[in-house]
Amino acid sequence: MNRKVYLDHNASTPVHPEVVEAMLPYWSERFGNPSSVHGFGREAREGLETAREQVAHFLRAGKEEIVFTSGGTESDNMAIKGVAMGRGRGHLITSKIEHHAVLRAMQNLETLGFEATYLDVDGDGLVDPDAVRRAIRPDTILISIMHANSEIGTIQPAREIGAIAHEHGIPFHVDAVQTFGKAPIDLDAFHIDMLSFSGHKIYGPKGVAGLYIRRGTKMVSVQHGGEHERRRRAGTENVTGIVGLGRAVEIRGRDMAEEAVRVTALRDRLWEGIRSQVPDVRLNGHPTRRLPGTCNICFRQVESESIVLGLDLKGIGVSAGSACTSGNVEPSYVLVAMGVPVEWSMGAVRHSLGRSTTVEDIDYVIESTVPLVAKLRSVMPVRA
Amino acid sequence: MQYSPTLIDHFRNPRNAGIMRNPDGVGEGEYKDCMDLVRFHLRVRDGMVMEARFQAYGCGPTIAAASAATEVATGCTLDALLEVEAARVEAAVGGLPELRRHAADVAVLGLRAAARDALSRAAETRSDRDA
Repeated sequence: MNRKVYLDHNASTPVHPEVVEAMLPYWSERFGNPSSVHGFGREAREGLETAREQVAHFLRAGKEEIVFTSGGTESDNMAIKGVAMGRGRGHLITSKIEHHAVLRAMQNLETLGFEATYLDVDGDGLVDPDAVRRAIRPDTILISIMHANSEIGTIQPAREIGAIAHEHGIPFHVDAVQTFGKAPIDLDAFHIDMLSFSGHKIYGPKGVAGLYIRRGTKMVSVQHGGEHERRRRAGTENVTGIVGLGRAVEIRGRDMAEEAVRVTALRDRLWEGIRSQVPDVRLNGHPTRRLPGTCNICFRQVESESIVLGLDLKGIGVSAGSACTSGNVEPSYVLVAMGVPVEWSMGAVRHSLGRSTTVEDIDYVIESTVPLVAKLRSVMPVRA
Repeated sequence: MQYSPTLIDHFRNPRNAGIMRNPDGVGEGEYKDCMDLVRFHLRVRDGMVMEARFQAYGCGPTIAAASAATEVATGCTLDALLEVEAARVEAAVGGLPELRRHAADVAVLGLRAAARDALSRAAETRSDRDA
């Protein structure tokens, strides 16, 4: 029987048992609609507002600055479209390696007459703050740069970019779905006006996330209906999920710093183990300025899906950097933006570690990867 | 992606992987969009494939399909191999998910190319002998 090793925590995480415990009463005991005035509603409202306090405390923000949503994608859309629609026209700045939720929201706005600049990144996946400065125009209405990319884990210079945005009086949105609860975020020091975060990346439930909106940020609602979330996001709140998110955030506040040290060491052990035993590999992303648990490795001239399948057969869950569908392959747009040559990027595999990852897990992954890559390379034809 | 046990077995234990000395026919199948590349080496006697070996670059199903394709080819006449259909290779791996059908296509392109090469070499040999 194979071990089971889950190294795809950037995709999703198992719900923490303490989170499950916190959520349980809200399925069938405290099930009321938080907008209702009766006792059932007040019980649900209490859970909702406790979660809001937990998130606000973690971010050192005001309770009224936290809006709950259904996912990171909704948070990104709310931030970007909310600011843009409030202004009616203008120019937005982002990077080429943002999540599709940001890139496609920008593209949608372009069809409506807005203009967008997509900034390049360097070979480590970093956005140059000076490039942000140079891209600013008199009509720039928003700068949206992610805190860390999910594929490579490179942590962007948010503090420097935020200072530039602040200096020019431009709202600064940060998609922090991958860093929230994993790396420190200082809203004031980074001059962040809006910050997207999600529950299921931090051992909370899926389908619940949020957006921090700094007091005074000018934006409009993009979802209309009732008076929920201070009229910023219509729709009955997912109380059970939000209670779970609040508890998950509280646990991250307790465990984050210690876990980051432990997981970083495991991440580096993984890379060192593979680097020392497998020829023709490269690490993608910044060598040090990177999410604690993210290790994206290119295996030159090996197709990443064959590695993912081979490891899956050993009980190991990792993700492929290139997606092959119906005979068309799409190398990762993130690696393309970083200038990674195609013979490398086709063999990109992302390992994302988490709180349950152990030394034994990492050693098992190394032991499984070394012969697998050798075997795949042994059947590989030399291209003419 | 759900794969058949047969496909998984071919991926785990590829049959006839590698190359051969002095093959009677060599052919490649390639999908440029996908970058998949499959190469077959054939040993032929009296117009029939006695042995086939493969090399493959691609996703798991492509490697499995190339492995299964060597078994499909062995015992086939070259004329039959020229006409071999992707459905035959697909059946040999126990079926392919819709999004991975190209694995059988690229294997069949390679087999047909190898059969054409073997027939061409045989014709040259005959012509040299007759000259």
